[in-house]
Amino acid sequence: MPFIKAKPDSAAHQPAHEPTPQDYAAQAALLAAPQAHVRRAAAQALGAHAEAVPALLAAVAAEGEQPVRSAMLDALAQLAARGSEEAVSGLADCLRSEDAWLRNAAIELLRGLPSQVASVMAHLLVDWDRDVRILAVGILDQLRHERVEEWLLQLIEADADVNVCGAALDVLADVATPAALAPVTRLLARFPAEPYLEFAGALVRSRLHADAAAQEA
Amino acid sequence: MADVTITDDDFQRFREYFYRKAGIQFEPSKRYFVDKRLVERIRATGAAGFRDYFAMLRFETSGREWQALVNEMTVNETYFMREDYQFECLVQSMLPEIAKTKPRGEPLRIWVMPSSSGEEAYTVAMFLLERWPQLAEWDVEIVSSDIDTRILTQAQAGLYGQRAVQHVPAAWLQRYFTREGDGWRISRALRDAVAFTRVNLNDRAEVAAYRGYDVVFCRNLLIYFDDASRRQAAESFFDVLRPGGFICLGHSESMSRISSLFRIRKFPQAIVYQKPLEQS
Repeated sequence: MPFIKAKPDSAAHQPAHEPTPQDYAAQAALLAAPQAHVRRAAAQALGAHAEAVPALLAAVAAEGEQPVRSAMLDALAQLAARGSEEAVSGLADCLRSEDAWLRNAAIELLRGLPSQVASVMAHLLVDWDRDVRILAVGILDQLRHERVEEWLLQLIEADADVNVCGAALDVLADVATPAALAPVTRLLARFPAEPYLEFAGALVRSRLHADAAAQEA
Repeated sequence: MADVTITDDDFQRFREYFYRKAGIQFEPSKRYFVDKRLVERIRATGAAGFRDYFAMLRFETSGREWQALVNEMTVNETYFMREDYQFECLVQSMLPEIAKTKPRGEPLRIWVMPSSSGEEAYTVAMFLLERWPQLAEWDVEIVSSDIDTRILTQAQAGLYGQRAVQHVPAAWLQRYFTREGDGWRISRALRDAVAFTRVNLNDRAEVAAYRGYDVVFCRNLLIYFDDASRRQAAESFFDVLRPGGFICLGHSESMSRISSLFRIRKFPQAIVYQKPLEQS
C-alpha cells in the first residue's frame, strides 16, 4: 500500500539562513523582498512587534499581492488587539483608500476589535467624507459593542447626508431599542419625502412596536 | 418564567442575522426546529424574551452565547462517506489535476482537520484505494489532526458503531473492517495509513509545522469559529497548502465569505477552493 506516514515538522521548513521571527530589523527589511511568500512570512512575523506598525502601514499601501496584503493587515489587527492605537488608526485610515478590497478588509478587521475601535468610532462618524461615515456604519453593523445603538442615534440626529442616515437606519432595524423611537421620528421629519428613509424608518418603528407588544403580552 | 414565543418577525430577524453571521439559511420549513432551539437558549440564559436574547447575542463581547447557539443550530455528527461527493471530487478531479504538475517522487499530502474520530481520514484512504488507480504511482501522506487528544486516541483505535459505517458500501466494509462485538474495527493497514496528530488551528506556531499540502479537508469546523478566528484559519490554510492546492469545506461553509485568498473551483462533483498557482 503506497501510504506513508510523516510527522509534520516545522524545523524542516525553516531554512537556516532565514532570520528568526524575533529579529525585528531583518523582518522589516524583508517586507521589500522580491518574493511574495517571503514578504508574507515577514508580515506574519511582524505581528509580534509593536514597533512594526509604521512599516506595515507603509508596506500595505505599496503591496500588490493580495496574500501579502492580507498578512500585513492581519499583523496590524494583531497589534491593534494588543493595544496599539496607532494600528487601530492605521486600519481606520484604510477606509479612505481607493481600493475596495483594502476598505472591506479593514472593515472586517475593525469589526473584530470592538473595544479598540471605540476610540476611533466617534471620529469616523463625523468624518468630513460621507463615504467614510457610511463605511463606519458598516463596521457598526457587525460590531459587538454596547454603544452601537448610541452611536447610530447620534449619527441620525446630526448627519446632514441622507445616504449616511439611510445606512444607519438599516443597522438600527436590527439593534434599535425604544430609545430609538424619538430620534427616528425626528430623522423622518428632517428628511420628508425620502422614500428609502420612509421605508427603513417604518421597518424600525414596526419592529419596536412588535417588541413592545410582545413584552406586554 | 412566562411562556416564550417567537413571532414571525422574530423568526425573520433571527434568520437574517444567522445567515449573515454563519452563512446558514433556515428555510421557513425549519421554523419549528429554529423556534425550539431558540426558546431553549432564551430559557438557558434567563433572557426575558426574544428581544432581550437577540440583543445579548448581538452585543455580547465574548461571543460565548453565539457559540452555544451555533452548537444548538447545527448537527455535529460525523460518519464514513459523509458528503461523499467531495471524496469523488478528490479522486476524479483534484488529484488528477495535481498529478499532472506535481514532480514524481514527491509525496502527495492530504490533511484532514479536524480529525474527530477518524471517519473522514479513513474515508479518504478508502477512496484512494478503491477509486484512484494512479495511487500505485504515488506515495501519499494522510495526516489527520485535532485539538482533542482523547478523540485522536479513539481515531487511532478505529472502532466504530453501526451508525458510523451505515453508508460504507458492503464490499468496502468487508475489505476494510472486521466485526468486533457490536462494532466494526477498521483494518490495521488503514490505521497504519493515517498519521494522527494534535494541533490547535488557532495557534500559528503549531500550524507552521504543516506545510506543502496538496489537499486539505476542513469540514464543519469554521462554522464554530468567530469571524476573527475564521479569518485567521483561512490565513493558516493558505500557508499550509502548496500553490495550486485545494481546500474542501463543509456544505454550509463558504471560503468566499471568510477570505479572498482562495479562488473558487467548480468541478463536476463539488465546489472547492484553490490556492492560486503562484505569486511573484
